[in-house]
Amino acid sequence: MSTKRLAKEHAELDANPPEGFTIRLPPSQSLHTWHIIHRPPPESALHPGQFGLVLSLPPDYPFKPPTLKFVTRVYHPNVTDDSLGNVCLGILKSENWKPSTKISAVLDAVRNLMIEPQPDDPLEERIAEEYRRDRPAWEEKAKAYVAKYAMDEPEFPASAS
Amino acid sequence: MDENEELRATELEALEAIYPEIRRPDEAKDRFTFEIDLPVQPAAPVTVTFPAAATGNDVDTGVINPVADADSLQVSHLPALRLRITLPDGYPSDKPPEVHISTDPQWLRRETMASLESDGPRLWEDMGRDMVAYTYIDHVQRAADDVFGAISEQGTLEVDAQHKLAVLDYDIKSKAAAFDRETFDCGICLDPKKGTKCHKMLDCGHIFCLQCLQDFYNDAIQQGSIGTVRCLMPSCAKERSETQAMDAKRPKKLKTSISPSELLQIGLAEDTVKRYVMLKYKTELESDKNTIYCPRQWCNGAARSKKHKKPTGLDYEDASDAESDQDDEQAKSKTYDRAERLAICEDCGLAFCSRCMQTWHGEFVLCAPRRDNGELTEEEKASLEYLQLHTSPCPTCSAPAQKTHGCNHMICSRCETHFCYLCSAWLSPGNPYQHYNEQPGGKFTSCYMRLWELEGGDGDDVGLGFVGGNRVPQQAENHDEAVVEEAPQPIRVPDVDRRDQPARPQLLDENGRPVAVAREAPLVLRLGNDPNNPPRPPPPPPPPQAAVPQAPVAAGRGRGRGAAQGRGGRGRGGRGGGAERGRGRGRPQPAMRVINNGNHAMMHDGLDAAQQAWIRQFVEMALLDEEDMIAEDDLGDDAAFFIR
Repeated sequence: MSTKRLAKEHAELDANPPEGFTIRLPPSQSLHTWHIIHRPPPESALHPGQFGLVLSLPPDYPFKPPTLKFVTRVYHPNVTDDSLGNVCLGILKSENWKPSTKISAVLDAVRNLMIEPQPDDPLEERIAEEYRRDRPAWEEKAKAYVAKYAMDEPEFPASAS
Repeated sequence: MDENEELRATELEALEAIYPEIRRPDEAKDRFTFEIDLPVQPAAPVTVTFPAAATGNDVDTGVINPVADADSLQVSHLPALRLRITLPDGYPSDKPPEVHISTDPQWLRRETMASLESDGPRLWEDMGRDMVAYTYIDHVQRAADDVFGAISEQGTLEVDAQHKLAVLDYDIKSKAAAFDRETFDCGICLDPKKGTKCHKMLDCGHIFCLQCLQDFYNDAIQQGSIGTVRCLMPSCAKERSETQAMDAKRPKKLKTSISPSELLQIGLAEDTVKRYVMLKYKTELESDKNTIYCPRQWCNGAARSKKHKKPTGLDYEDASDAESDQDDEQAKSKTYDRAERLAICEDCGLAFCSRCMQTWHGEFVLCAPRRDNGELTEEEKASLEYLQLHTSPCPTCSAPAQKTHGCNHMICSRCETHFCYLCSAWLSPGNPYQHYNEQPGGKFTSCYMRLWELEGGDGDDVGLGFVGGNRVPQQAENHDEAVVEEAPQPIRVPDVDRRDQPARPQLLDENGRPVAVAREAPLVLRLGNDPNNPPRPPPPPPPPQAAVPQAPVAAGRGRGRGAAQGRGGRGRGGRGGGAERGRGRGRPQPAMRVINNGNHAMMHDGLDAAQQAWIRQFVEMALLDEEDMIAEDDLGDDAAFFIR
């Protein structure tokens, strides 16, 4: 069932990609790893960056939530500021996950997070603090990160897990 | 006459073409009598009230007892109206059609039916005595939209109480039939499915296909995550709580779990549903701090309680929150009632004292001291050991948690406390990640930058042998060589505060070597007794917010385990884990060592006389294995610094 639903979701998103997202399947891999490029809209401080995300869908998807990681570094309260790029998205937590949540909803959540960080549920407390206290400083650093890491087409690891 | 006969035949033929469901009950005798059932589906669902009849059989007069309390229900399908129409000789030119109306059961009032029946001849008259059968049937069908005018001014339809079951049953069956005919897109597999293969959630009305629901719920119940046995629509509970908030009448907590009977309807196996019921019951017991368990080790049943009834078979009753609050208060006020100590196990029937956990000794007998706990079986020891190695306790309810994956921010499944997996510290639900970052004021916790440690989970399958959060490995790094390299030489303990320690008797084993006292004290304190190194005192309370590593762990544990240590890189010995892990992951944490050392200094400088005295007393008692005797109250504030 997992594969069937994934194929369906992929076809849907492929035919009608959500704004700001490009979805690719890495060559010679199953439908369980998706390479996603996100371009935040102009109202986001992270515009015009291009952010690579790896979406991993477990074999028992949609009964278990997918996991999402940033491949591109981003200066953001809710993304770890390291090479792991972990994101904390509420709807992906296993206690909140519902099998009828679709990937498009996950992508919507990502877009919203990039427009409006959630400093009250941060992974990087320091950045969250800065975001709360001194928004311009955060924006400046975020833009510096974009200029440094996010201007080129993101590179995906060859064998993303 | 002939002309009329022909007209009748033509009309009937045409009617049968329009209404193929027309029957002719006794065609041979009377060609021109036919029956048709007309479904009664009001334009909008009707509120039906069922006033109790004043006298049992007064149906026909429709006399009702206005005082009797009536329950009302929304109904969208009412039992069909049966029209029996006879086109007599002389119809249509001379005689009107004869109409007889009936329903099964007789839910419609006689007067209403009589007026409907009389509509036939009236229409026939209005049309100038012409063929009226189709017009009449159509008229009745239209009239069904408002239930033939039988709806009262209050917008309700009164039906005699004795037909309640039949009417509701008909409604349910018709709805089910309508549901079965429809097609739905299952939100899980995203496939369109026939209604017969779907299930509509009883509480919220969301529709999924049976296959997906079965797969998901079976999986969830098998894995014991009964919290996810709820409607699978995203934000379902949220929407419903919003609508309920608007109602505002019922501030009751929203019920999101699914009843066992609904699970059976969905098609789960009875055994699975039984397991679900038992799991729910257990969770409820475990989340209730007042629950007392049977002291018989082969039993461990819960004591009988009024609040939580042991489920029998598939029935499950939710203990309502309001009730339980009340019960709690009652329980508090009766704490000293001696009779309350009597507990009876609901599984094996043992009567025991809930305080001393011995068999019941009567109300007026003092509780006997607790029996020594030295009766553990191998199996129990093994599971205790496993729990110790691979779980972290919730700081609120002590439920052991084992991480399977993800970050170290845990939420207790029993009491919803937020805590740190590494050190069991309480985390603020509003800002749990602060713990892993720089603290306000530039301090660091021992878990700084360790949010993602053990991301793959904690347990045998992880191959890391993490010691669990109730010990902090960094402190022990000084001893790591001793433990990991299986060197049973005297264990080095940081050289602190030696001058404060009086010389004390040594414990020697049969070979005359000093014995390392390894013991689970109520606090996480282990003592290494070494001729050269007196045991270290625990640290004083840290200044608030300060980042203090866990209670000092001296070397006791390592020795006894030394020989058993060589299990690959697993570092089973509680304390080996820290260093092992650091190496295994290639993530040494020099920053932390510096911090720890810094704290050391601070800790020991900060001892005041009273604390030192307490520590000395504790250590002495511990050496004699008597530290349990220190009264809880004495620990009081001092204990606070172990629990972080």
